Amino acid sequence: MLDNLKPHPIETWLKKNNWSFYDHQLKTLELSKSNFDILLVAPTGGGKTLAGFLPSLDDLIKNERLDNKLHTLYISPLKALTVDVHRNLTKPIEDQNLNIRVETRTGDTSNYKKSRQKLLPPHMLMTTPESFALLMADTKANDYFKSIRYLIIDEIHSLVNSKRGDLLSLNLSRLNTIAPECNRIGLSATIKNKEAVLNFLSNKKKTKLINVAENSQPSIQILSSLNRMPWSGHMATYAISDIYQQIKKSCVTIIFVNTRAQAELIFNKLWHENENFYKIAIHHGSLEKEIRRKVENLMSIGELDCVVATSSLDLGIDWGRVDLVIQIGSPKGIARFLQRIGRSNHRFNEPSKALLVPANRFEYLECVSAINAIENNIIDGDIDKIGSTDVLAQHILAVACSNPFDVDNLYKEIISSWPYRELKKTKFLKVLEFVKNGGYSLKHYEKYSKIGLNKNNLYAIQNSSVRNKYRMNSGTIVESYMLKVKLGNKTLGQIEEWFIEGLTEGDTFLFGGRVLKFLGINNNNINVKVTKDKHPQIPSYAGGRLPISSELSVQVRKLLTKKSYWENFPEQVKDWLNLQSKFSVMPSTNQLLLETFPRKINNKKRFFLVCYSFEGRNANQTLGFLLSKRMQRMGYKPLGFVATDYALAMWSMNCIEEMDILFNEDLMLDDLLEWLEETPLLKKNFREAAIISGLIEKKLPGQVKTGKQIIFNSDLIFNVLKKHEPNHILLEAAREDAYRGLIDLDRLSNFFKRTKNKIVYQKLEQISPLAIPLVLEINRESINKSDLNEFYLEELENEMLTEVGLN
Amino acid sequence: MHLEKGSSYAETGQLIPPFDSEATLNKLIYSMKINKINKIILLGDTFHDEGALERMDLKSQGLLRYILDNYNVIFILGNHENKMKLEKITFYHDYVIDNIHFTHEAKLNNQHQVSGHFHPVASVKVGSKKITEKCLIHSENHLILPSFGTFTGGLNINSNIMKPYLSNYYDIFMLGKKRVYKFTNLNLVH
Repeated sequence: MLDNLKPHPIETWLKKNNWSFYDHQLKTLELSKSNFDILLVAPTGGGKTLAGFLPSLDDLIKNERLDNKLHTLYISPLKALTVDVHRNLTKPIEDQNLNIRVETRTGDTSNYKKSRQKLLPPHMLMTTPESFALLMADTKANDYFKSIRYLIIDEIHSLVNSKRGDLLSLNLSRLNTIAPECNRIGLSATIKNKEAVLNFLSNKKKTKLINVAENSQPSIQILSSLNRMPWSGHMATYAISDIYQQIKKSCVTIIFVNTRAQAELIFNKLWHENENFYKIAIHHGSLEKEIRRKVENLMSIGELDCVVATSSLDLGIDWGRVDLVIQIGSPKGIARFLQRIGRSNHRFNEPSKALLVPANRFEYLECVSAINAIENNIIDGDIDKIGSTDVLAQHILAVACSNPFDVDNLYKEIISSWPYRELKKTKFLKVLEFVKNGGYSLKHYEKYSKIGLNKNNLYAIQNSSVRNKYRMNSGTIVESYMLKVKLGNKTLGQIEEWFIEGLTEGDTFLFGGRVLKFLGINNNNINVKVTKDKHPQIPSYAGGRLPISSELSVQVRKLLTKKSYWENFPEQVKDWLNLQSKFSVMPSTNQLLLETFPRKINNKKRFFLVCYSFEGRNANQTLGFLLSKRMQRMGYKPLGFVATDYALAMWSMNCIEEMDILFNEDLMLDDLLEWLEETPLLKKNFREAAIISGLIEKKLPGQVKTGKQIIFNSDLIFNVLKKHEPNHILLEAAREDAYRGLIDLDRLSNFFKRTKNKIVYQKLEQISPLAIPLVLEINRESINKSDLNEFYLEELENEMLTEVGLN
Repeated sequence: MHLEKGSSYAETGQLIPPFDSEATLNKLIYSMKINKINKIILLGDTFHDEGALERMDLKSQGLLRYILDNYNVIFILGNHENKMKLEKITFYHDYVIDNIHFTHEAKLNNQHQVSGHFHPVASVKVGSKKITEKCLIHSENHLILPSFGTFTGGLNINSNIMKPYLSNYYDIFMLGKKRVYKFTNLNLVH
């Protein structure tokens, strides 16, 4: 193979830089040339991107190429990655004078460039799934894409099993119809279910999985600090000076955090320590893109000493030399952690170096478990997500925008897409009806149908405003209502509206590493000025935290069972676990531990029930809602609950007994279905489904008002549909999302199965050591529970009446 | 009540379920029945716009007719209905009983008034929780009612728009799921 390539420009370029081809790159080239669709699974730094492009470059160099016809399409999930790969690809192309036109197309591309790309397609187009969907919805899409020979999808593992992946998959099926000769290459990080990803990528018979193993085990340690590790909280501020010492010792460090709020706080605290004036930057999704680009550029030219980042930096951008990756807080998942670790020592054959900083004592256990899992090659499984209904609705409209379609042909095309392979025709027709006129059985919007049958018996859009509206609202990313943060004329980023609602003028908060003072709101913007306040608030974002993965949670449970495992833990953690054994018992792997104890909240005696379910925050929270309902009926007067990844604590006015009845599985499942219909979580999913499916708009053309005023309130629609048309397709869509998402139905069912008839009940006189972190969360966490609103209203009213002497 | 508010969005391409009129009217009939009402004053914006009646489905029209036939209904004219002219329905600007003025929008005078228009909503804080619900306002001799329609939202009491109509101390009655809760403006949060 190498002989054939001797005069190959790419090899010449590689040699110039003292590099040479990896085996898997050559293998990819060889197989792709023989028309195999390939999934290349390799750790970071493994030369995946070049592997992905080799077949395409080879074809363009060797064979006759048509100018102004699209030859290769590259899709990556992140705009920044797309830009980065473009930059990297340009190097060998220019160096060897290859005359290949490469262009990027994302939400950030100027309208001028976009028009030019449409009229005069480049040879290679680098884009995102969203921009790709928009191109496919164009009336000239068929012509544009029929010349395509290679399709490369980067970081494909991060796209599957999400709504973004659903939409991409539907468009890939369309691409199959338009350009069946196209060869596909998927590039993925190390994951468990590789076959599923290969199926997502391709329907061809000729497919191949190329798996490149990690050459060396990463070197991971847990920070041991002399400072006291807190019981609860997620901020890890106790370890700031230790972290700073680490930054001192390495050349370039990336600090990964799990939330934007953590990023702001850690960044702020680090700067207070920064006596050596190291160049430390911050990077997260709510910051304005210019600010993010600047950080990315400085990183790539080696100008920064440290970056504090959220998952916004998770994917494969080449940062050059990174010596150390610090993960603050438990990584919550093994695969995710591995990918983050992979950022350090971006050279394929050298071990990556990582440091875990647990934010509280329980997280210490999670960190140890993560390390154990990695050493034993255990990795989290992936759920096999079924294609979302709202995304399907958006896609059907997009197809109509492009060209009139035949119903049966479209159905066949859709079921050839992996996430939608089991879609029933009846459901497809129901979604079609929705797209047409809202899908209401009780009344019809004939006059305002979006699509309708034309004289050739094909579905077409009724007028061009439908197309315009579609373009403004396409995509699967729905954010909460955001306001722009403006410092004078400069936009710093965005912040969620509900956080601002909690502020009054003069309040200060952290953003983009600065302390800002809230001056006021006008239109869509909040005005701020820079200030020096010692105690600014930290914006929290509804996007929030991922729950601990099942696999990691199993590891933690195992860890707790054997005392011998704890021997080497730091005193703080060891003592805590020993105390738990003494005053109560340790939760075991196949039983459910329940503890009850009395405790005062705000000077009132309350009764606590703690359930160590270990199923992750979302499932535990759902369990909390269910138990509240049950307890309400049994007369215990539940007042609230708090859930973490490992346990659930409920408190009530009356003492809780009859555990068996409370946790009876059969009764629970009845409650579950009923509760699901009333949960505020369902409304949240409904809103998302309503926007993605196109029922209500994200933005109307020309509108700049805040989210609430112009857009129809989805909660109102939800209530009406629930009452009058409970089987409406959007409600079904919301339920599907809810089961999988915040409710985490699978894990909850798993919990019931696992613990059936295996309750271990400890009746205690006071709080147990293991429950301390949980109870401490009560003041920090505030989960909106409109179910329990009545209780709170009643409490407040009672308080007032008592004050006044009327109670 | 803003009947047919749902269907009014169809022109913008948002095909909102057109069930609000039926739901609202059913709710109204039910309320009147269980409270044994025989006369009702609708404080304006009964219809979301001039085209509402035409868009209304037959069943809802039937419900409306039922109400008109079986109850004594007084229609106050609201800003959304400005251009409406209906047979058999007289719109009042101001309807007086026992010196109490029933109008659409509150007036800045000393008269005893019952009005609507603002769709008031209030927020109170209980511990760290903020709860926001529709509410009725009793400010000296003024009563401002919450909106009744299925698709009606609300304007927070704190807004500058409502301030001129409220005295320094007033009562608010928040609509919970099962009952009404009484607070004063001192309990309000932003």
